[in-house]
Amino acid sequence: MYRVKDLYKEHGTALSLKIVESEECMKRSIRSQDVQRPGLALSGYLYGHTGRRIIVFGKVEMGYLRDMPKEMRIERLRAIFSMTVPAVIVSRNYRPTKEIVDLCSEYGIPLFRSKMMTMNLISKLTLLLNEAFAPNVSMHGTFVEVFGVGAIITGDSSVGKSETALGLLERGHRLVSDDVVIIKKREYSYLEGTGAELTRHHMEIRGIGIINVANLYGAVCIRESKRVDLVIKLEAWNDTKFYDRIGLSEKHCDILGVKVPHHTVPLKPGRDLVLLVETIVLNHRLKKVGYNSAEEFNTKLLEVIARKSKTGKAQHEEHLQSTR
Amino acid sequence: MKNTCKVRVKNALGLHTRPATSIVQMLQSCKSKVRITYRRQTIDAKSILSILMLAVHKNANITIDVEGSDSDIVMKELVDAFENKFGEG
Repeated sequence: MYRVKDLYKEHGTALSLKIVESEECMKRSIRSQDVQRPGLALSGYLYGHTGRRIIVFGKVEMGYLRDMPKEMRIERLRAIFSMTVPAVIVSRNYRPTKEIVDLCSEYGIPLFRSKMMTMNLISKLTLLLNEAFAPNVSMHGTFVEVFGVGAIITGDSSVGKSETALGLLERGHRLVSDDVVIIKKREYSYLEGTGAELTRHHMEIRGIGIINVANLYGAVCIRESKRVDLVIKLEAWNDTKFYDRIGLSEKHCDILGVKVPHHTVPLKPGRDLVLLVETIVLNHRLKKVGYNSAEEFNTKLLEVIARKSKTGKAQHEEHLQSTR
Repeated sequence: MKNTCKVRVKNALGLHTRPATSIVQMLQSCKSKVRITYRRQTIDAKSILSILMLAVHKNANITIDVEGSDSDIVMKELVDAFENKFGEG
């Protein structure tokens, strides 16, 4: 649950928020990522006003309130504030009217003042709330950036995920997170992965213990967050399973409703995992710029077969004619 | 035990990637050695790129050699697959 307290603590300075009233009520939860200007609600039209959104009073709202008779002002504000509004912000550093302060105190609504312009405040607040409300999931795996592509290496415990990541770091690639990746869906279309705050940039290698990658390999080898482009699953070689030999059909996995290309790499002693991951990533990049090695090969093959088929037919007909 | 059989490729597109993949998949767990001969080129049928290299077209005749303990079963499976056009038209 996202509370007003969290918003103030995390982004209070960025939004230049100053508490005016009801500091003790900061535990109120924010239940919607939308921000509302109460224009129509102030005119008495309350349809659709559920009180779930943060309310921002700008220049126009303050002017409209000022021009109202006092009783009406109280009545209209009471109608808006009585619906458990999470917080009220007055922008442009306007001083909230006495009625706003009193009613916020009565209903226990946190009241803030901000120096920002109304539109700037609303767009910034919407962006921050969008991020806070983005659907997220955590995944077991090691998240690395290889040649600029974000790849999550998954697989059973002790299959060699961290060792592969270590090998990749040594070759100049970057670590985002080891063991647990927190994936957020951004702008309803793409995924972004980060590590947990505490374990970020730390790795656990069996036989060595916990190491700090940033200290060992330098700041160039780490990254805070990265878009998720690929999932690579490592698994023990299974003789009865048929592994992809051509690569014509692309497999995907579903993370938070987004389709992510998925590769399964079988392990066997002697297979260089670092090289395999690098090759998968390079092939992925090539596909992204419109070149698909497998498809290209297939087209070439079909052409050769068709050509051979024609010459074969011609030879056959010649042979038939000569025998007549 | 050694088995040899001549078969005709009936697929419209010849031995392209899909049938080649099914052959390799079929032979993955067999113990016998399987070879395909086409136009005097003999290849190991367990290697997909080798099969594709032959670029066998429709109505071409190929020779399949199977050598090993399970050669009868493997040969039957392969011939059936060729007969069924690998499930294609």
